Amino acid sequence: MNRGNRILLSCVYWAFVLYVFVPLLLMILMGFKDSKFIGFPIRSWTLDWYTGVFDDAAVPSAFVYSVVIAVLATMISVFVGTWIAVLLEGRKFLGRTAMFGLTVLPALVPGIISAIAFRIYARWLGIEPGMGAIVWAHAVHNVPFVALVVMARLSTLPKSQIEAARDLGADPIIAFLRITLPYLVPAILGASIFCLLLSFDDFVRSFFLGGYEPTLPVLIFAKLRSGMSPEINAIATIALVLTAAIGIWAERFTRRMSKDT
Amino acid sequence: MTKLTINRRRFLGTAAVGAATLASPAYLRRANAAGGEVNIWTYNDFVPEAFKKQFEADTGIKVNIRLVDDQGKQFNLLAAEAPNPTVDIMTVAGHRFLQFIDSDLLAPLDTGRLSNWANINPTFSESDWSTINGNKWGAPILSGMEVLSYNTDLVSPEEARSWDVLFSEKYKGQTAYIIQDMMSIVMLKMGYDGNMVAYLDDPEKAAAIVEEAKAFLIEKKPLVRKYYDSGAEVQQMFINQDIALGHSWNGPAAALINDGFPLAMTIPKEGSYGFVYTYNIANNAPNADNAYTFLDAILASPEIGASMTKASGFISTYKDASQYLTDLEKKSTSFSDDELENLQFFRAEANEMKYGLVDPAVEAIKAA
Amino acid sequence: MSDDVAPRAGRGPDTADRKRLTFWGTLSSWTPYRLVVGLATASPRRQFLILAAFPLLWVLTQHLGPMLQMLRVSFTDAYPVAPGVEQHFTLDNYARFFGDYIFWQPFFRTLTFAGVFTFCTLILTYPVAYFLARHVSRKNQMLMLLLLLIPFWVGEIVRTYAIMILLGNTGAVNQLLKWLSLIDRPIPFMYTSFSMGVGIVYLTALYMLLPLYSALEKLPRSYNEAAADLGASAWTRFRRITLPLTLEGISSGCTLVFLISTGFYATPVLLGGPSTTVFAETIAGFFHVAGDEWPTGAAFATIMFVAAIFLTGAFQKLMNSLRKGDTN
Repeated sequence: MNRGNRILLSCVYWAFVLYVFVPLLLMILMGFKDSKFIGFPIRSWTLDWYTGVFDDAAVPSAFVYSVVIAVLATMISVFVGTWIAVLLEGRKFLGRTAMFGLTVLPALVPGIISAIAFRIYARWLGIEPGMGAIVWAHAVHNVPFVALVVMARLSTLPKSQIEAARDLGADPIIAFLRITLPYLVPAILGASIFCLLLSFDDFVRSFFLGGYEPTLPVLIFAKLRSGMSPEINAIATIALVLTAAIGIWAERFTRRMSKDT
Repeated sequence: MTKLTINRRRFLGTAAVGAATLASPAYLRRANAAGGEVNIWTYNDFVPEAFKKQFEADTGIKVNIRLVDDQGKQFNLLAAEAPNPTVDIMTVAGHRFLQFIDSDLLAPLDTGRLSNWANINPTFSESDWSTINGNKWGAPILSGMEVLSYNTDLVSPEEARSWDVLFSEKYKGQTAYIIQDMMSIVMLKMGYDGNMVAYLDDPEKAAAIVEEAKAFLIEKKPLVRKYYDSGAEVQQMFINQDIALGHSWNGPAAALINDGFPLAMTIPKEGSYGFVYTYNIANNAPNADNAYTFLDAILASPEIGASMTKASGFISTYKDASQYLTDLEKKSTSFSDDELENLQFFRAEANEMKYGLVDPAVEAIKAA
Repeated sequence: MSDDVAPRAGRGPDTADRKRLTFWGTLSSWTPYRLVVGLATASPRRQFLILAAFPLLWVLTQHLGPMLQMLRVSFTDAYPVAPGVEQHFTLDNYARFFGDYIFWQPFFRTLTFAGVFTFCTLILTYPVAYFLARHVSRKNQMLMLLLLLIPFWVGEIVRTYAIMILLGNTGAVNQLLKWLSLIDRPIPFMYTSFSMGVGIVYLTALYMLLPLYSALEKLPRSYNEAAADLGASAWTRFRRITLPLTLEGISSGCTLVFLISTGFYATPVLLGGPSTTVFAETIAGFFHVAGDEWPTGAAFATIMFVAAIFLTGAFQKLMNSLRKGDTN
């Protein structure tokens, strides 16, 4: 690779960084605007929107509600997704392609279509709108991502390790729990972060399947009706800082874990 | 600091309740609801927070609010729950009553049970749209209207006297409107009845009128910057100066005026339509008694009406609410008598025919 | 994982280790457990059936179920069914789409937009993924990738409004251009297919970046070095080695992005203009209005989904034949 190309590449990279971060910085900036509306020009600044977030019980409550939903949904997705990955990876059986197609189906259905399909199906099953319904929809939607990530990791697992364990008398379940599962931990963690954030950010499924408690994105949408106020930017910024902190912590954690194994 | 702690305890509490709801069967929840709750579907800021706290403390009835952002979605949610809704009170725009009534979703309002009914300005409580089949169906709380809003730095009040300015070459690419609402206004502007009640017996004429309005809006499509949906969008377009003028509801425009933005609004000489948000009791509501208690309480004082106006920008239907408003708030929620002369309310009688024609026309305009 | 199972507080590593062995040892010699495992793993066939039963049940009821249910609704004349109304089978909902040209335009527009935006996303993110995989030390790759991904977790609506104040007439870009004296009057970026593209590529970049990155990261550097030793130019090396070997990543990234872009609703509605109405908006319209429009919405959603799947299927076939052609 010659020098010119390399410089060009890094320019593209940094341009992309700019594209990704400038709207974000604008969003954060507007959270400090002393006005009921976001946008330029900014005449004076305030911290009131941030302090206000903690005064309005609805916001922290929606935040916690969203987190609880995200955690429950992720737990289900990880369990199911890993199971499916173990079934699909490195095995040849009749209907494997069909099984794979069905597994990734929820990831391929466009958002609004999937939300409506879930709503209709929930009504048919008799699931009442509310937390259970949202958790269910998020969990199903996220399974493909877990399955794909775990399958990728599983394909690099040295077969000899399992065989060695089996030779030493471990049954398949113990071999799975003691060899395969620990090997999958980084992939499972990575997939979990992805699922948590997908679920946390979801509006359309949460809206169609929700009850009286709003999730954070649903609350933001409702607040938007009385104007895009800096309050919403302040809420989003706080949520962003929290999720980013969790993300970076998890990356460090995963790195340590993969060093151990 | 105390406040913070209380809040935190409260939201942890809600989370726990959420988790418990997940586990408890539906019939248990219904039984619980009969204890001391009232379930409300409404827009953000339509139930003032201070009033809600006071009401809960006074009566021991817990107020559960589900925020909605669209009349159609609300109808669908309710239709999906019928005939055993979880909701007690909904917020329906007056001209959409009929649709809810036809589907058996609303219970007639027994105004005799509301000692504060007389606190509502009769302009709203006794209006032509408010009585259907000999019954009252909702308690009016806020009133909105379709107005022409303009940036006073860029557009003069003289120019804004007529809806025509929205379609002038001068402001090409600087206008925006909600297309469904604009259809009614264009019909009115052309001298027809935008409510279409006059053509109930003459569907062919109705179709021809909608066709004419549609053709007009398609012809003017190159001039418009944006067909928008929500108040937040039109506000943002004004702030970003993407538009100089546009059709809007008075609420979002008033909120911008109150924030000091150089905006004005007017009811043009061709006239315009108004609508009223009402609180309605659901047919078969699980906590109907609590719902009446709530309605009576929220109608009790003009101050409550004023605080709804402050938060939403819509005009209060309460007598004397304006004395609790600041001068700027008063200015942003009042119109001259000349202007109000040209205002009429949306009517529901011909809605089925009207929207059967208008909805496809809207699709066609968007697709053109 | 296994560390969590073993109680190890207050003990040295040695004892903890023995304790752990005992736990697994106890478990595997516990009679009920052995009976269950023995039954379950009696033959490879039975083992497979038990392994496969749950996933099969799950994908059939949870993944396929909602779609089939939607399909069913799309063939009915009323949904939700009001009390006292009878539901009938009908094809009218589909006929409505094919019978009225006004629905075709947003439909084909959506497919075109999705294709164009997918291509833009690919062009934009390929160099980024390449740079990350090739020019960043392995140690920092994950962290830099993660940093790039953080902004994608801001809610769609909030981010969309941020793009409005970036591109509006008084927005950041116009202010900058004015300050640089490049323009006198603001450029109307907003409410065009351009502003819509900026918003959509922002949303889809993540789904393209990840598959591309993992494809590029797997690619052994030695191939390129060998080619360079043989005198191949940078462009030739890219065209003959890197590109063919990352076709799989490109194909899966494009498929995902294309399908996702056909389903976007809020962003096109908020950032698009009068002439950029997308099909998702048309579909959503049927769910907003009252009455028996859900079946029509379901039918339109089905048409959109089938078309999108058909196109991506054709695309994947094309990519596969390209790949095969290259290895021959």
